[in-house]
Amino acid sequence: MRIKFTHLAVPLALVAATGIVQANSDVEKNIANPANWAMQAGDMYNQRYSKLNQINAGNVGKMQVAWTFSTGVLRGHEGSPLVIGDMMYIHSAFPNKVFAMDLNTQTIKWKYEPKQDPAVIPQMCCDTVNRGVAYAEGKVFLQQADSTLVALDAKTGKVVWSVKNGDPSLGAVNTNAPHVFKNKVITGISGGEWGVRGYLAAYDIKTGELAWKGYSTGPDDEMLIDPNKTTTWKDGKVQPVGADSSLSTWQEDQWKIGGGTTWGWYSYDKALNLVYYGTGNPSTWNPAQRPGDNKWSMSIWARDVDTGKVKWVYQMTPYDEWDFDGINEMILADINVKGKMTKALVHFDRNGFGYTLDRTNGALLVAQKYDPAVNWATHVDMKTGRPQVVSRYSTAQNGPEKNTKGVCPAALGSKDQQPAAFNPNNGLFYVPTNHVCMDYEPFAVEYVAGQPYVGATLAMYPPPGEKNMGNFIVWDANAGKIVQSKPEKFSVWSGVLTTAGGIACYGTLEGYLKCVDSKNINKELFKFKTPSGIIGNVFAYQHKGQEYIGVYSGIGGWAGIGLAAGLEKDADGLGAVGGYKELANYTDLGGSLTVFALPPK
Amino acid sequence: MKCLSYAVNALLFFFCLAGHADEPLYQVQDGYKVDAETMKGFRTWRAAACDRCHGANQQGLVGPSLIERLKILTKDEFVKTVTEGRLEKGMPSFKTSKSVMSNLDQLYAYLKGRSDGAITRSKVEAIQ
Repeated sequence: MRIKFTHLAVPLALVAATGIVQANSDVEKNIANPANWAMQAGDMYNQRYSKLNQINAGNVGKMQVAWTFSTGVLRGHEGSPLVIGDMMYIHSAFPNKVFAMDLNTQTIKWKYEPKQDPAVIPQMCCDTVNRGVAYAEGKVFLQQADSTLVALDAKTGKVVWSVKNGDPSLGAVNTNAPHVFKNKVITGISGGEWGVRGYLAAYDIKTGELAWKGYSTGPDDEMLIDPNKTTTWKDGKVQPVGADSSLSTWQEDQWKIGGGTTWGWYSYDKALNLVYYGTGNPSTWNPAQRPGDNKWSMSIWARDVDTGKVKWVYQMTPYDEWDFDGINEMILADINVKGKMTKALVHFDRNGFGYTLDRTNGALLVAQKYDPAVNWATHVDMKTGRPQVVSRYSTAQNGPEKNTKGVCPAALGSKDQQPAAFNPNNGLFYVPTNHVCMDYEPFAVEYVAGQPYVGATLAMYPPPGEKNMGNFIVWDANAGKIVQSKPEKFSVWSGVLTTAGGIACYGTLEGYLKCVDSKNINKELFKFKTPSGIIGNVFAYQHKGQEYIGVYSGIGGWAGIGLAAGLEKDADGLGAVGGYKELANYTDLGGSLTVFALPPK
Repeated sequence: MKCLSYAVNALLFFFCLAGHADEPLYQVQDGYKVDAETMKGFRTWRAAACDRCHGANQQGLVGPSLIERLKILTKDEFVKTVTEGRLEKGMPSFKTSKSVMSNLDQLYAYLKGRSDGAITRSKVEAIQ
């Protein structure tokens, strides 16, 4: 509970309202118990904070491996397992296995392995990641790669219902975790590089029936936008979006193959009954083929969870020219902004700006760079909400067949999907970042259904004169400032955990799990080399009175691709030098889970 | 296959002849200027977004290095791999892509030129 009651009348009003506003009592009960890790972020706010404190800044250095588990799958492992009571639900990259592990006996109670058409594997170019399962009311929800959303009986692993969420023959596949808010399981879609038109969809958790589907682009009714009621940030204030807010920003029918996919982590505010998420890049990557702002790609959305209706929407990167998808997680936190306690939404975008908005109405409060290397825009104009693009780094102004060099960040962003964490004890954010720049050369490309629709060639490398390709940072979302920064050799592509024990933990691409002092992140308190590079998210749970911290290892994902970086000269590729090669000095493929605990006394 | 190289006016010329016919597979000047057909091969490579898996310089990422693979694959094997894909390994089928299917020879020529070391950089230009 995040509300303090000062008057007796307030709780009474809330009690009366609980019949209407309920986040899902089962999930709420599960996340309220810190022994569980009942959602991918630990809660509905995407805070990734554990109240457990048995493992703390004073003793984390003594942590040891308690147990390990191989998923038997080699490719990139993102997300984390869930823990509910005595059960742990472990997932894998394609073919998307789910293991139900009894923590009392460390035996596999059931295993689910869907049969999926291997044709979806290449459509997930370049890696077949899956970001984990959801749990509610005795069901485990899995969003398979082939876009099938299934509900499994948590006791037996048997399919309760199954529904097709997209058309994989068109490249509409899934990598995201499903999220349960209220009586809905919310999912999105991938395929921005295949001309897929993005949407968010809500299915009934009991039956799998589609409750609503809201597109990212196109006519107002298909986006579930009400031109008069849905608002956005314009001329320094919150105003209605008006009619045809998307259609008027696209040339002809490009919006139909215009992307805006939705493969990130979603959050939910029960009191406002709003689900928050972001949309990805407009298709293609060649801006010359899609003049206009391309709304509402690259945007932050707030939808009513019952109806899908859009409360507000804000576009971060109008007319994208760099593939700065806006899908990164929206972290909900009640923090002080400009001297006022604010129901804030904090978001670290691929475009390199850290945004703070009022989540009740989408008012823009703060937008500042969270990596000093960011150069494609000077700043975000707070009145219009638009980034001020630097011509030299504009791939649209330079045009097709011209190589725009030295753009920071690279397409994989100052941060990609790897989620940040909030520390409610100091109100600060712990952010895993990329520190990578790129050359970007767009070219004309023709749309063919079910074929890649990219239209740009990229080369990525660390910022000039620097060697580290990542930083782990602490961010003040009120001041819009980096408070602390800890360099890492490679991009930090692992979701962060903060805990009441005064620590922050994250994984590295070399394969280290690291825990640092949350007061001084440059104080590395624990470091352990897991079997493979880490792109998974750190999580914590408690079983039989003992606290555990765990993480997947299993290198892959776009991080691996980004590491192809360092090819300053075209010919370098011939010798296969560069960052990726260097990562091979540290790690190789292999999906597994490593779980840590303090040694027995 | 046999390859010839010679220098004229300080320009290095490089021809590779397909074994069964005396048609040159590709022509290269200065390592990056290529004939019109090989140029089509490069455009096909780019349009099909092969670089996302095989790397901007064909050096290999999630997919194998084509510099290396084209030393091993026969032309027929190459055509089959591109047409049918190797789905389990993540290689898509390009059967439904008209631009790839109608430029298989050109794509092969371009990649072979890269693999042979005759085309010395990924981005090529047309011989003027």
